[in-house]
Amino acid sequence: MFKDLRKRTGESPRLFVNSDVVRRRALIYLAMASTAIVLSSRFSGFFVDLSMVILVMGFPTALICLAVTKNGKLGPLKVPLAVLTVVLESCGIAMFLLRGRVALEPFFGGFPVAAAFQLYGLWLGPLLLVGLAYGLTFEHWELRDSDLRRFEDRRCGSGEDAEK
Amino acid sequence: MTEQLSSSVAGSAVVYLVLVTLIGIWAAKRTSSARDFFIAGQNIGWVVAAFATMSAAFSGFVFMGGPGLMYRLGVASLFICVPVGFTSGLLCWVVGKRLRLLAGLQEIYTIPDVILCRYQSRCASGLASVAIVIGTVGYLGAQLQALGILVETVFETRALFGQWSFLAAMILGSIVVVFYATAGGMLAGVYTDLFQGSLMVIAAVVVFFYCLHAGGGLETMSRSIAESAVFGPSHLDPFGTLSIKSAMGFFFVFSVGVLGQPHMLHKFFMLKDPRTLKWMPLTIGLTQSACILIWLGIGLAVPALVSQGLMLPLSNPDFAAPQFLLKFTPGFLTGLVFAGVLAAIMSTADSFLNIGSAAIVRDLPKAFGGQIRNELLWGRVVVVGLASVSVIFAFLYRDLIALVGTFAFGTFAAALAPAVAVGLNWRRVTGTAASASIATGIVVNLGLEFLSKQSFIEWLPDTPLTEGALPAAVALGASFCVLLAISMLSPKGLKGGMDSDVDFVMDL
Repeated sequence: MFKDLRKRTGESPRLFVNSDVVRRRALIYLAMASTAIVLSSRFSGFFVDLSMVILVMGFPTALICLAVTKNGKLGPLKVPLAVLTVVLESCGIAMFLLRGRVALEPFFGGFPVAAAFQLYGLWLGPLLLVGLAYGLTFEHWELRDSDLRRFEDRRCGSGEDAEK
Repeated sequence: MTEQLSSSVAGSAVVYLVLVTLIGIWAAKRTSSARDFFIAGQNIGWVVAAFATMSAAFSGFVFMGGPGLMYRLGVASLFICVPVGFTSGLLCWVVGKRLRLLAGLQEIYTIPDVILCRYQSRCASGLASVAIVIGTVGYLGAQLQALGILVETVFETRALFGQWSFLAAMILGSIVVVFYATAGGMLAGVYTDLFQGSLMVIAAVVVFFYCLHAGGGLETMSRSIAESAVFGPSHLDPFGTLSIKSAMGFFFVFSVGVLGQPHMLHKFFMLKDPRTLKWMPLTIGLTQSACILIWLGIGLAVPALVSQGLMLPLSNPDFAAPQFLLKFTPGFLTGLVFAGVLAAIMSTADSFLNIGSAAIVRDLPKAFGGQIRNELLWGRVVVVGLASVSVIFAFLYRDLIALVGTFAFGTFAAALAPAVAVGLNWRRVTGTAASASIATGIVVNLGLEFLSKQSFIEWLPDTPLTEGALPAAVALGASFCVLLAISMLSPKGLKGGMDSDVDFVMDL
């Protein structure tokens, strides 16, 4: 599809030129997932529901990947983001498969297992994972000293320009 | 309510209002420019920013609507709030750094400012302003409704004002917020938010332990509910009382949708130093999670107590929180908690008054190529006007608090999230794509919400959605689709037309 687009427009859209594999995959995922979410509002059924669960659970991580990738790499965020994806997807699928079985389920942490997946898996697990991953990788990946120096240089330049 | 309890609640409310007013007066003396009024002089630290983000995001919806929704829908309602486990990280990674850096390079006070700077499109910026004004009126309406219910329950105003007590309570509440929002602007907003946020966290955590005590612990409460004839096991099934479409729709809107919430994004402009972002996700996540304990606690305890025969079934689910607090917490604590609820409502209302005022005074004129001279003065005037319109909206549009909150949150999410989140991370997004996406978000969300609720225009068709599909989720999905499709199909990149500061920030 993208090769056709390149031929048709006769240009090299920046989608391909300055993007990397991670970013491209994230964009394709977002496009497919958002289309499927819209279409699911018109259809019903087991596979429609399952697709909705899988696509919605992956949406936040796809957006994060789009934002944090640098030169095609996720750097130190690769493992935390992979874990986050696995946690969200597995909790979503587990809740889907356990629906309607609360009366038969054992309890875990004060709740039936499906609700425990929802509370401990979707809420408390990612809370520490995401908060610590962001804080601990901040200076190595999110905003490095070199980035800050470039920013300060530019800010001083802008200030001087404004004064002139 | 007993006389002793009534005086303890009133006493706490008076102390709270005096403190908030003092902060407002203190901030008013330090507010001398539009920069102070709209972004607190870009001089706040990460703790204040984190608490301000949390308390602006969490409102009467969490304290009043949430437990009511959980009483009605069971744990399925938690799909609205469990995303807080990762949304603070999502916010900081996807937009936080870029918004803060951009605000350091240019005069950026609002989200429409960002959109104008990023896309060089007055149309996109103007549409974003319209979305903000519409959403602000909805959000403020929800806050004032919550305030009305709270005051009616605590002070039993119905006996005094009869059928007009709800309107009277809303007007009374808005007068207090308008005072400090007008005097101190966002500077008053963030420091009252710090105070209010601390109060909310303390109140929520303490109430949660009272809920555990009253209900006999998590497992006892769960088992009581599961075995009850009124609620049954489906109450504890994440997909039990809501269809999968509705549940996932809520999860989608309340996770990805945070990227379009101006009252949360706005806080990034105010940070003194970009490095302070480092521990913001953890702080926001922890404080938000602490507040959600009140939703979970009361939402579990009240159905459990009804199942155990210790409470009568509620005639209105929105009374779950007030009824529990009045019956199961001691007098001195009830006052603290009601002050916390008041804080939650007022901190959000204050943020929206400021953002709505900025949209009207600053962003809409810019979209038409003009500028208002004295933004500070007119900002204050518009705060008063906006509060009045919101009271009328809230009085006329009577519905469950949670649904009104969802309606406004969904409008922001669908209109702004794709243009801001994708646009700041992908250069290929054009002004045309952003404008089309914002317009799609507004029209689809409002259109579907209207069609699903209206009954007075007979010839209008019913909503085209299948049962359970959430208008806001469909609108958010459609808005992403439009933005990505137009951007992918556009033959030219924006490199030549992009602002150099935006280009620089997107490189970091």
